[in-house]
Amino acid sequence: MNERSVVGKPLPRIDGKAKLTGRAKYTTDIVLPGMLHAKLLRSPLPHAKIRSIDTSKAEKLPGVVAVITGKDTWGIRYGFVDTPNYPAEERPIAEDKVRFIGETVAAVAAIDPDTAEDALDLIEVDYDPLPPIFDPVEAMKDGAPQIHGEITRTTSCAWEDWGVARKSHSYTPENNVAARALVTYGDIEKGFAEADYIREDHSRSPGTSHMAMEPHTMVASWDPFEEKLDVWMNHMAYELKRYWLHKTLNIPITKIRIHKTYIGGAFGGKAPCFDYEVICGFLSRKLCKPIRIELTREEVFSSCRNSHRFDIDVKTGVKKDGTIVAQHVKVIVDAGAYKCSAPVAMFLSHAMCDCCLDRKNVRHEGVAVYTNKNFNFARRGHGAPQMRLAADCQYDQICEDLGLDPVEFLMKNLRKKGEVIPNGDRLDSFGLPDAIKKSAEAIGWKEKRGKQRDKNRGVGIGINGMFSGSGYWPFACTAIIRLNHDGTITLIEGDCEFGQGADTSYSQIAAEALGLNLEDVTLISSDSELCPMNYSNFLSGGLFVGGGAVYNAALDLRDKILKVASEVMRAKPEDIELKDKKAFLKSNPRRSYTFTEIQRYNIQKHAGDPLFGLGYKKAVPEIEFYPSLSKGTGRFTDAYGFTASTAEVEVDRETGRIKVLKIVVADDCGYEINPAAIQGQMVSQAVQGMGDALYEEIMDDEGRVLNPNLVDYEIPRAFDIPEIEVIDCSDFEPKGPWGGKEAGECARAAVISAIVNAVYDATGVRVMKIPITPERMFNALKAQEK
Amino acid sequence: MNGAKKTINVKVNGESYELSIKPKMTLLQLLRNELGLTGTKQACMDNSCGACTVIVNKMAVKACSVLAMQVNGKEVTTVEGLASKDGKLSILQEAFLEHSAFQCGFCSPGKLMSSTAMLEEMEDPTEEDIRRDMEGNLCRCTGYVQYLAAIKSVVQKRKEGKR
Repeated sequence: MNERSVVGKPLPRIDGKAKLTGRAKYTTDIVLPGMLHAKLLRSPLPHAKIRSIDTSKAEKLPGVVAVITGKDTWGIRYGFVDTPNYPAEERPIAEDKVRFIGETVAAVAAIDPDTAEDALDLIEVDYDPLPPIFDPVEAMKDGAPQIHGEITRTTSCAWEDWGVARKSHSYTPENNVAARALVTYGDIEKGFAEADYIREDHSRSPGTSHMAMEPHTMVASWDPFEEKLDVWMNHMAYELKRYWLHKTLNIPITKIRIHKTYIGGAFGGKAPCFDYEVICGFLSRKLCKPIRIELTREEVFSSCRNSHRFDIDVKTGVKKDGTIVAQHVKVIVDAGAYKCSAPVAMFLSHAMCDCCLDRKNVRHEGVAVYTNKNFNFARRGHGAPQMRLAADCQYDQICEDLGLDPVEFLMKNLRKKGEVIPNGDRLDSFGLPDAIKKSAEAIGWKEKRGKQRDKNRGVGIGINGMFSGSGYWPFACTAIIRLNHDGTITLIEGDCEFGQGADTSYSQIAAEALGLNLEDVTLISSDSELCPMNYSNFLSGGLFVGGGAVYNAALDLRDKILKVASEVMRAKPEDIELKDKKAFLKSNPRRSYTFTEIQRYNIQKHAGDPLFGLGYKKAVPEIEFYPSLSKGTGRFTDAYGFTASTAEVEVDRETGRIKVLKIVVADDCGYEINPAAIQGQMVSQAVQGMGDALYEEIMDDEGRVLNPNLVDYEIPRAFDIPEIEVIDCSDFEPKGPWGGKEAGECARAAVISAIVNAVYDATGVRVMKIPITPERMFNALKAQEK
Repeated sequence: MNGAKKTINVKVNGESYELSIKPKMTLLQLLRNELGLTGTKQACMDNSCGACTVIVNKMAVKACSVLAMQVNGKEVTTVEGLASKDGKLSILQEAFLEHSAFQCGFCSPGKLMSSTAMLEEMEDPTEEDIRRDMEGNLCRCTGYVQYLAAIKSVVQKRKEGKR
């Protein structure tokens, strides 16, 4: 590997000065002349027919400009999953029925937020309550209230535009089943017959909030003369949002411009289409005025997407020595009122976990069920944290039962580097073995495991694997690099900056390829009108796909510069090197031409042709459209990121309070483009994982969220942070830019399992329902004493 | 319904203002909506996250929970007032940049203001002091480690400077 001067360095982020001086513009900071403010009326009932809505009093309130209801937006449908088998059923405003507490039933636009809020109280809705259903198992029983009738296809989504054949058809969910998945390989009957020991366990993961600091906000401005919608919004990929706005509002896609703003955190929670977004665009066009909608924190908790609630049964068969021979997984996803990404989540709970261990014979059954609760979406790992909790904690218990060491158990069952796994993905880079070894060493595994229960202390381990983008929609990106007059470059690419460091990492990738410094890169990003096609900012595809396109664009420009340089210098391209805005002969560095001279030469000699770099990358080139969600067949991803995490905890047996003493995150991200940014991603996931394991749960009662604020929904604070050690276990990924791949999602799941397993090691009590609150721990310890 | 407007005099980032405001207006609304100082962020609206922290007469306060009327005759510093006007970052801003102490950046202004006030007040805060003092500033991206390190580095630099 040649010495690198820009990538691999912990350079200060290019968005730093703007963000640290208050000049960085977020959506919440956008103010337009004449802007109106909209507020949404939310359903107080979990399941009810809407008999009528009287908006007349609200309309008369001075300052109110418009009130809209489901009658205005009737028939508009959208959804994260909108396929021939699963047509979309979400709607911006409830039509004849509400399905969860917090569903939008009307919207008011007014001259200021207070007036809009006051007007909501004047809207009279006549509801006819229906029996609600909250438990997914109950919801599947015959005779349970049916949440959806016939789902008719009305508005279509992105899939069609990418050539997915679809027949126009409607369907009616039976027994509230939103979707099913069944993935099988091998022969589980035979596998279980060969097993010396079989264990069955159940685990439960609650709904949790992404809790991005910036509340969901959108500003839309309709220009009636150009018939164009300008948008500033919270998103994770403008192409997706632009498609949804285009399809739901019936505005040509190029007449919607999503402007760059910094996004105040996302973690998955800002990717899907939201009711308020369609309403914001709808009102702006209707009134020919800029409209702003900023949700309250309570609305973010109660009406925006949270993580999926999972119930998982796992049955695993092993040989005496710990070799896994069969696994049967049954996943129930409590989808909530609309399916959103539930069909994806139950499939991903298999797909992301299949890359770690060789389980030989597998049957993974998933069912997503409608209930009268707020509905859900991906949160940092999309199905993996829930599945890893179930699997890794069971492995830990199997080891306890058979007298095996969990670290040795994992090492014994690992997949191998270069292996082709059952769906066809090849593990070209596989840093997991190294990560397991190093994370165990760093926590003092051999000295501590099973040896500190007298001190109420214990250690545990968890692992995970995660895609670097996948084949949904085109999942492809393009980047353009312009060589400027002064020898610097302008990089033009679409990925948005929601904290992950895309702006900085991508600039580093381009600078390195051209022998430039980070300061030599001017960045234009995340604007749907200025940037080329971009689908990569979710499923951890950012760096691998978006960054990969940048890498390819930089190589393209590099080749062009070298070609011209070789012409001018009468030398072979391979004898020329690029550095400090110059091309020079390797054998005689004093013989050089500046990029400015090379650019000038090319324009003069070649009919005005300036030097541009063009690059593109697709997540999985072999996938034409998308893998099967329901059967788990077809390639998933081109590169997996891996993490092993260990943790040490101390449990107070008097109070049930658990103190995390140390978390180790050993991660394989291929190559650390910016080690400081990677460190940030790992610490972030360690702390979020700790929150998941010990604090975080959206509590509800009869469909009402009980803790929709930051006092009652507890997340880790500065004082709670344990010692965190991050270990780089990167295994160079041949298809990644400079060897890089996924970094931002994988570790969270591994940390959760590590902490939960450490709690067992400390107490001998297995708690399989997270978060392990002091109350749950205390009760489990009391039950143990009996 | 909102009551008659009142006049207040306030100094914000060194500039004096005479403003006519509704009594129920919060300091956060005053800064963001009236003065266009959008660096101060609104994230929870109920005094629980610290994203809107500003300094009023040397004390860190959450601007969402202070009425604009209450800063009458007082001096307010926001994140926009930390760097010099010709573009020199404060020592804490520099430390945050060097330590990659932010990600999405939405809570960073609040953290900067809390830690600026703390370092004004405390000569030599311990690790525990820093963590206790910063407990009111929630962060979802960073996991706190890098920005606590940034603050510690400033404490260290100050010590070395005095030697």
